[in-house]
Amino acid sequence: MAWDVVFYRAADGTVPVDDFLDACPTSVRARLFAILDAVAEAPPPQFSGGGHWEAMHGAMGGYFEIRAQGPKREQFRLLCVLENAEASELKRRGFPGPALAVITGLRKPWMTTFSANDYTGVRLLGDDYRSTIPRRIAS
Amino acid sequence: MAEIPTTDTSHYQRRRARELADAEFREEYERARVEIAQVDTIMRQLDARREASGMSKADLARLIGKNPSTVRRLFTAEVNPELKTIVAMASVLGARIEIVGEPSANTDSSTSRSVA
Repeated sequence: MAWDVVFYRAADGTVPVDDFLDACPTSVRARLFAILDAVAEAPPPQFSGGGHWEAMHGAMGGYFEIRAQGPKREQFRLLCVLENAEASELKRRGFPGPALAVITGLRKPWMTTFSANDYTGVRLLGDDYRSTIPRRIAS
Repeated sequence: MAEIPTTDTSHYQRRRARELADAEFREEYERARVEIAQVDTIMRQLDARREASGMSKADLARLIGKNPSTVRRLFTAEVNPELKTIVAMASVLGARIEIVGEPSANTDSSTSRSVA
């Protein structure tokens, strides 16, 4: 069964993923949607990843990364969490079934790394997302 | 007990539909879907054969002369697998990579399909 894809919505009504995608080149945005659809159609652990989808570790444990490369090898990431639980728990969170929740996106030049602050920012949004019942998502 | 209402989860599908109305987006999207599906199919078939043979990723790495981390990354990380590595893994797993024509292609035998 294909999963839903949902975007986190902040308390002020903004949708960080939408803002991130709006700023991406069209080719990168298309690729990110293609990967999101591939993951949603063959949810973990069915989708091998093939370099586009990977579980994160350490301080970012519990998050998954969608990866795409843009012009001049610029790196684009979507940071996601899985909404996969018992039906009653999913219902409590407001979902009709399992979902891939995209929290936000990050981008960086080739051969550079994201800073601890970058990841802290993602976790702040993710914590806000996970603290709301039902989940606050773009609609 | 009152029914818990579910949240509207259609935002993504609506945005996707809007994006696909743009020709440039659609072309890149469709190209990416084909590429992702083909790479995923090959990697999943290789991994399934590895598991069926009871071989660990480290075993497979040793047999093709690569570091275990290299093989692990082939299945998950941001790398573009080298064709010769894919062929070596297929060979060790008793399979081969073959190019076959799509039914609609106007050539005798030339688009890719995995037969791992």
